[in-house]
Amino acid sequence: MKNSPNAGLGNLGREIVSVVACVALTMAPAAGQAGRSELPPEVRKALREAMEKSYLQLFDEAPRLEFSAWQIAAMRRIFEDAQKNCTANFRKRAEEHGKQLRREQEWLRANTGKIDDTERKKRHCTIQNLRALEAQARVLAEHAIPVAYENRKAKLDLIEKWPGELKKIQAELAAGTHVNRKWGDVKDIGFRELFPDQEKDVKVGQETVREMKLAGLMPPEVDNPVVKKYVTSLAQRVGKHSDLRVPLNVTVLNSKEINAFALPGGFLFIQRGLLEAAENEAQLAGVIAHEIAHVTGRHGHRLMKRATISSIIYQAAQVAALILTGGAATIGTYYALQYGFYGLGLVLSLDLLGISRDFELEADQLGVQYAWHAGFDPNGFIQFFDKMATREGYVNGLSWFRTHPPFYERMVQSKREILFLPAKDGLTVSSTEFDQMKAELKKVTAQAEEEEKERPSLLAPVQGCPAPEKIEYKPGEPIEKLCPEPGETSSGRR
Amino acid sequence: MSRTRRNFIRQALAAPLLTALGGAQGPGQRSLYFTVEEGDKLITGLREGNFRLYEDGQPVAFRLAEPESPAKVTVLVEYSQASVLYLNDIVTAFRELVDAAPEGNWYSLATYSQELQIHQDFTRMKGEIRSAFEEIGQPFWGEVNTYDAVYEVLEKLEFLPGRKVVVLIGSGLNTLSRYTMSEVQRKVEASSLNVFVMGAGSLLRGQYEPYLDAAGRMTLLQAEAFLNMLAKKTGGQAFFPRFETAYRDIAQTIFTMLASQYRIVYEPRARPDNRFHRLKLEAFDPQSKKQYTVRVREGWRWQ
Repeated sequence: MKNSPNAGLGNLGREIVSVVACVALTMAPAAGQAGRSELPPEVRKALREAMEKSYLQLFDEAPRLEFSAWQIAAMRRIFEDAQKNCTANFRKRAEEHGKQLRREQEWLRANTGKIDDTERKKRHCTIQNLRALEAQARVLAEHAIPVAYENRKAKLDLIEKWPGELKKIQAELAAGTHVNRKWGDVKDIGFRELFPDQEKDVKVGQETVREMKLAGLMPPEVDNPVVKKYVTSLAQRVGKHSDLRVPLNVTVLNSKEINAFALPGGFLFIQRGLLEAAENEAQLAGVIAHEIAHVTGRHGHRLMKRATISSIIYQAAQVAALILTGGAATIGTYYALQYGFYGLGLVLSLDLLGISRDFELEADQLGVQYAWHAGFDPNGFIQFFDKMATREGYVNGLSWFRTHPPFYERMVQSKREILFLPAKDGLTVSSTEFDQMKAELKKVTAQAEEEEKERPSLLAPVQGCPAPEKIEYKPGEPIEKLCPEPGETSSGRR
Repeated sequence: MSRTRRNFIRQALAAPLLTALGGAQGPGQRSLYFTVEEGDKLITGLREGNFRLYEDGQPVAFRLAEPESPAKVTVLVEYSQASVLYLNDIVTAFRELVDAAPEGNWYSLATYSQELQIHQDFTRMKGEIRSAFEEIGQPFWGEVNTYDAVYEVLEKLEFLPGRKVVVLIGSGLNTLSRYTMSEVQRKVEASSLNVFVMGAGSLLRGQYEPYLDAAGRMTLLQAEAFLNMLAKKTGGQAFFPRFETAYRDIAQTIFTMLASQYRIVYEPRARPDNRFHRLKLEAFDPQSKKQYTVRVREGWRWQ
C-alpha cells in the first residue's frame, strides 16, 4: 500500500499518543502513591493514635475530631494497601514454606533407605518446622490480617460518620419521632407480639439439642452450682423482662470459647470463656439479652434450614483443619489459645440460626432494650464488644466479623438504640453475686486448664527437635507490628 | 518346697504391697488390659482370685485394678487411591465406629496412604473426629504404607501415659513402607496398647480371590495375617466382615469389649533385655474349676 502524504504525520501522531500513554501509565501508580504520601505525617500520626482508642472513646471523641473526608479516605487507602500487601506477603510466605516442605518430603521419600537415623531425625525436625511456619503464615493471611484491618476500617467509619449520625439522633429525639422506629414501643416490652408462635420453636430446639449431643459436638457442662445458679438467674431475670413467651433453658458449657448461643425455643448456651471475658454484670447481661432476642425474634424459625447442620460441621472442620495442617501441637494450641477459634463457636450458632445481617441488627436492638428493661446498663453490650474488638483480639471476634454485619454498623445501631431509650435511674453495672461467680469461675477455669495440660496429643513435636519457629502476633498488638505500612519498618514507625 | 509353691508364696507376699498402690501404677510396673470370654460371651465381675499370671512360664504377683479412664482411642484409617474399590467399607466402618463410640474417652483420627496424617488430635468430643473425616476429600496418593503408619502411630502413642487403644480400619495391604513387617512386629511387642482391626475389602476379596494368581492370593493372605498379628500381639481383635452391614455390630463389639476389659498391674520379672517375654494369663472359677478364654497380649518386648 502506498503511503499517504499524511502518513508521516500519522506515525508521528501515533508516537506522540503512545509516548503520552506510556507517561500516563507510568505516572498513574505514582500519582496514586503520591496521593497517599501526601497525607501529612501529623495527620497520619493523629489518625493512627485514634485507631488505638476504644470504640466507646471514639463515640465520645469523634464529634470533636477534625479530620477531613479526604484525610480519612487517604488513610483508608493506606490501610487497604497495607492489608493487600500484608496478606499477599504472608500468602507468599505460606506458599514458599509449602514448597520447601514438599521438597524436603520428596527428598526424604527418595532417600529414606539410604540415610542413617541422625540424618532422618534432622530431616524430620526440618519438616516439622516448615509445617509450623506454613500453617502460621496461612492462618495470618486468611484470618488474622483481614480481621485486624476490618477493625481499623470500622474505626475510620466511626470517626467519619458518627458525628453526622449523632446529629440525626439528636434531631429525632428533639422532634420525638424516635418512638416511631421499629420496635420503638419499649414501654410495652413483654406485652407486644414480635413474631407469633414462639412456642412452636420448642420442639425444633429440643431436637437440635438432641442432635448436637448425639453427634458428639456439645462441650461438657460446667459442674459448679454457684456458677450455674448465677448464670441461670441472670438469664431468667433478663428473660422475664423480654418478649420471651417460652421457658428459658440455660446451660453453661465448659469451653474456653468467648461465646454464647441460643437455639430456637429458648435453649440458651453460655460458654465459660464468655463468663471469663465479661468484666461486669451489665456486659454479661447484654450478651445474654442479645441471644434471648434471637429467640424472641424467632430468627431460627425464620431462617433455619435443617440441612445446614452438615455445613456447620464442615465449616468447623475447615477451621480445625487449617489449624491442624501445621502438624505440630504448638501451632494448633497456640492459635486456639490465642485466638480462641476452638471448635464450632459462633460459626455453629450463627449457621444454625441462619442469622442474616438484618436479624443480627434486630437482635442488637432488642437485646439492648431487654438489658435496659431488666435494669442493667445497656452500655454493657457495647463495652463488651468494644473489649472484644479492641483488646481481647480482633481475631477472637473472627466469627462475629465474618458472619455478623460490619462492626461499625452494629456499634452505631446499639448506641442509637441506647440514646433512644427513656432515661432510667439505678441501672446495674455489677453486683456482689457477679463477683462471687467470678471467684468460683476461677476454680472451674483452673481445673479446666489443669485438664487441658493433661490433654494427650499425637501432634507432639518430634522428640529432641528445637521448638518450631513462631511468627509472633498476639491479640491486642497493633497489626502494624506484623504489617508495616509503606515507609515503616516492622520494629517501629518511621 | 517346689519351685511353683515358692513362687506362689512370693506372689502372696508381694500382693499386699501391690494392692496398697491402689489404682496407681508404680515405676517399672505394667498394665495388662484383657477380656475374659466364654464362647461369644464376655465374662465380667471376676476377682483377683480368679486369675493366675505367668511370665516366661513363671508365676508373677499382680493386682486387679480399675481400668484407667479416660481411654485414649486413636482411629487409624487407610485412605488411599488404592483403596478406592473398598472405600465404601472404610467409610461405613468409620461412621459406625464413631456412632458406637461412648462419650468420655479421648479420640483422635489419623489416616495413611503415602504417609501418616493426623486429621484430629485427641478430643473429648467424638463429633470432631467425624467432622475431620468428612472433610478429608478424595484420596490423593496411590500408596498404602500400612507398616509405616502403624509404626509411626505406635511411636506417637508410646510416650502417652494411661490406657491406649488403636482401632485400625484398613485392608492390611502394604506397598512402599520403609519399615518391614518384622520391625513393626517388634514395635508392637514393645508397645503397651490394644489394637482392634475393622478389616476392609473382605467382600471384594471373596469375589475376586478365585481369579487371582498365587502371588496375588499370598499378598491378600499376608495383609490379613498382618492385621491379625497386630490384634493378637496386643490383646485386641481383628474382624473381617463379609458384609457392609456387619460394621455396626463390630463397632459395638469393640466398645463393649473395651468396657468389659479387666486391668492387671504387675511388675515384670524380666529386665529390659530387648527380648520377647511370653505371658500367660489364666482365668478360672475355683468352685466349678471352669477355665475361661482370656484375650490378652502374647507378651512384651522389654526395651
